[in-house]
Amino acid sequence: MAKHRGRGFATIEYPTGMNQNGDPSQAWIKLKPDGRVDVFSGTVDIGQGSKTVHTQIVADALGVPYDWVTMDNTNTDSSAVCTGTFASRGTFIGGNAVRLAAERVRERIIDIASKELEIDPSDLEIENGEVIAKGAPQKKIGIPDVAGAATYNYGELISGSSTALKPFADVDDSTGQVEIEPHSAISYAACVADVVVDDETGEVVVEKLVQVYDVGRAINPTLVEGQIEGGAIMGLGLGLTENSYPYYPSPENRGGEFGAYLGPALHDLPELDNVIIENPSEDGPFGAKAIGEMANNAQPPAIATAIFDAVGVWVTEMPATPERVLEALEAKREPRRDGKRVIFDEHISVRTVSSNGGEGFLGVDA
Amino acid sequence: MKAVGARLPRYDGLGHVTGRTQFVDDVRVGRTLWVKALRSPHHHAAITSMETSKAEKLKGVHAIVTCADVPKNVYGHLEALGVPADEPLLADGEVRYKGQPIAAVAAESEEAARAAVEAIEISFEEREPLFDIRKALDGEAPQIHQWGNVYPHYGPYNHRRVRKGDIEWAFENADAIVEGVYRPQAIEQMPMETQVALAVPEASGRLTIYSCTQAMYFSMGVVAAHLQVPLNKLKFIGGTVGGGFGGKVDTAADTVCALLALKSRRPVKWRWTREEEFLASSTRAPWHIEIADAVTNDGWILGRRMLTLHDSGAYSRFSPYGVTKHAFHHTGAYTIPNLRFDGFVVYTNRVPTTAMRGFGVTSVSFAVETHLTRVAHAIGMDPWQLRLKNANRIGDTSGNGVAMKDPSTVPVTLAAAERVGVELPAEFRQMTPEPRSGDLLPEHLREQQRLNGEDS
Amino acid sequence: MKLTVNGIEQEIFSPPLTPLLHVLRDELDVTSPKAGCQQGGCGTCTVLIDGEPRRSCLTAVAAVDGSEITTLEGLGEPEQLSPVQAAFHERYAAQCGFCTPGMVVAATALIERKGGPVERDEVLEALGGHYCRCTGYVKIVDAVMAASRGQTGAREDEPETGEEAPVMIPGSPA
Repeated sequence: MAKHRGRGFATIEYPTGMNQNGDPSQAWIKLKPDGRVDVFSGTVDIGQGSKTVHTQIVADALGVPYDWVTMDNTNTDSSAVCTGTFASRGTFIGGNAVRLAAERVRERIIDIASKELEIDPSDLEIENGEVIAKGAPQKKIGIPDVAGAATYNYGELISGSSTALKPFADVDDSTGQVEIEPHSAISYAACVADVVVDDETGEVVVEKLVQVYDVGRAINPTLVEGQIEGGAIMGLGLGLTENSYPYYPSPENRGGEFGAYLGPALHDLPELDNVIIENPSEDGPFGAKAIGEMANNAQPPAIATAIFDAVGVWVTEMPATPERVLEALEAKREPRRDGKRVIFDEHISVRTVSSNGGEGFLGVDA
Repeated sequence: MKAVGARLPRYDGLGHVTGRTQFVDDVRVGRTLWVKALRSPHHHAAITSMETSKAEKLKGVHAIVTCADVPKNVYGHLEALGVPADEPLLADGEVRYKGQPIAAVAAESEEAARAAVEAIEISFEEREPLFDIRKALDGEAPQIHQWGNVYPHYGPYNHRRVRKGDIEWAFENADAIVEGVYRPQAIEQMPMETQVALAVPEASGRLTIYSCTQAMYFSMGVVAAHLQVPLNKLKFIGGTVGGGFGGKVDTAADTVCALLALKSRRPVKWRWTREEEFLASSTRAPWHIEIADAVTNDGWILGRRMLTLHDSGAYSRFSPYGVTKHAFHHTGAYTIPNLRFDGFVVYTNRVPTTAMRGFGVTSVSFAVETHLTRVAHAIGMDPWQLRLKNANRIGDTSGNGVAMKDPSTVPVTLAAAERVGVELPAEFRQMTPEPRSGDLLPEHLREQQRLNGEDS
Repeated sequence: MKLTVNGIEQEIFSPPLTPLLHVLRDELDVTSPKAGCQQGGCGTCTVLIDGEPRRSCLTAVAAVDGSEITTLEGLGEPEQLSPVQAAFHERYAAQCGFCTPGMVVAATALIERKGGPVERDEVLEALGGHYCRCTGYVKIVDAVMAASRGQTGAREDEPETGEEAPVMIPGSPA
């Protein structure tokens, strides 16, 4: 009876945007007469920080200070369509919507500034809230003055709107092949888990997770870390403790309260070492891909392979509860070998469990 | 100063730390009624009779809705994507999962609403339930869904397919075929804020709906479809949500509140209890995944056969979409030229499963990654090297034929190895995402390559 | 019955067995304590009763008649944050913000009780019954420890563009 250390790892990929696309996000932006910026977006902030990230994108796409930007995502009367906060689409697709809208506003600002400065628009650029002549920085006009002139002299509302939309990717139902890319970008991650397995109690403790994420570009690195950390603990729950149906497929003994349902709490927190890699996406706002959804995908396999490394048994029904680890230790199952076939887990396969050998499911694969 | 790349504070941070952030349950509207739902106590049953008249007469009760009050009771979340509708908003004649909503009451207080729910007279005739997706097509399996026990609408097929390359060649020419079964479980989204909605009838005839949805326009479309009203009759207020993780893509409380607000002409609020959130709200799906990989002794994955059963629960919701996404990513972060994938959406008598963080792919990641380490052990190869050798590279194509533009399998794997001090031979350490060539471009990987930058 | 809520004495008219949570939210419109579970299991309803952190969902109002109640609203204003509020804000300890009221209130009590720097184990002990689904708790622990050490305000240790610049992949489109 002893505690055994083990290490496992996994490398994963995850798409940005709804599978097969066709999921628009729209945004519109207007300037107040003093140049302050109102952004209207339908992107819901469920805590991931889209209000912050979109504000940062607009500030840089326009060339104004961050605190000039007001973000209104509160209702469907003032905002246009956002398909929703899911599929890791908020930063990429919602972010592209506000970026493209800001670029249109930027063009309008430069047009009005061009009239005021009597300089060709192509010779103007925006920096830190001012429109400046390229190569002649003394010739400039503040965006507040541009917005005021637009409102009171030219009778114009400086505004812009845009839609970020990748067209729907039809799939060939017989082969699964597509003609156009069915996502906006792909993010990647790797995770190493160090575990200790107690072969007497079956308990698995994750001591450390080392995680590497390629997010394209971290618009706000601290918010990216927040997703990585929160995802890590959710991945830990998937790997070790959480189960809506503790005796699946039986529907009985579900947990209807905290404590009966075992979501990870503070004491479950392992040491985390996070690395952010930037391999920018060609099409993402400022090169961003995504982080939110993939953040709980790499830990469960890293944990399962670490358990094997520690005690030499495979637990492939998740979560790896003490009961399952003990059962695997007791059973000490070896794969069946049949010619060049190495067959694991036969006892839980469709062929074994179904009373007709899985006919109807396996038939298509025969 | 550039904003992008900066660690700027949260836009909504001050509201959060001072308790000023207003979530749906914090909105105060005078004369608001409380909602409680009558939910199925059975996994699978016929509703043989239901009578609400006694409940309607109780003190403080303003409105009760059943399926008869819903202009369009059966509406599918994915009808726009060609997935037909199968789920009633309120149960009509039968229940297919424990916790399924049958009727809802709006009353002056939570207690009055609860008393009215208990006063609804209803009787059931229990039916045999199905819980094990592996047995869904057994001869003796009860038929639990109007379409049969498997979703039948992937074009002419009852499963999502991927076919690429020559799978027979791969299995014939493999040195080893490694097979395994992977069963990632259902979990709860478990947001700290339970499902909640507040619907306020306006003098103009519009409805203002305060919603915790993750997708305002999406949920507005769902409510408009059930109510059969144009979008200008609805205003959704939201955008600030106490955690979602996928569970608040289902439009759980909004539509029932809208119906009750219209019927009672009063503001109505439905805040699910934690018990309802755990037991009656959707979960992540349980999956059953069988993988057979055809591999060579020097670590090439020539081909993969994969069978996936997805436990959809009682209705479809987003499951057909989730299995397609799963199919599109079933090779993980690696390039496998010969594929045969079949994925089934299987109905059972449990709470419908739905989106959750990593939807469709969390299951792939678990199955594929655990399997690859097994493959490595089976052929006596280092699992890091196995992954790096088969890693996605620029110009490789995915299972569904998409050319890769910026894959990072190699950089993230190498960075992780370095971080934990795994020593790799120079030829692996020096790998990049650049297109395959030399020893990394054996004959069997040439045909799948698409290097000229075509989109597909 | 009477309660002093965030420094203001209030007459209470709810029935005596009403949970304090409902009195605060529904009678007094003090909405920072949340009805996260109403089973005593999540910590989102935590308030200070005479300085001690308590689950307001499991506390009958009659049992605390005459007490001083402090909620998150009573700790500080946006313009004048308490040390724990400032640390939570500066260190991104809130994501969706729903568990934050309970976390900040409980952490404030811990720091006051200790009267000096609190260690990691003490944070785990004091906040162990509080669930957060977003953050993985990392930045919450960080914020509580920082607040107890007076490490709030401008952070010299963390340049705005990040201490460790993210790793760029050579040859990738910039």
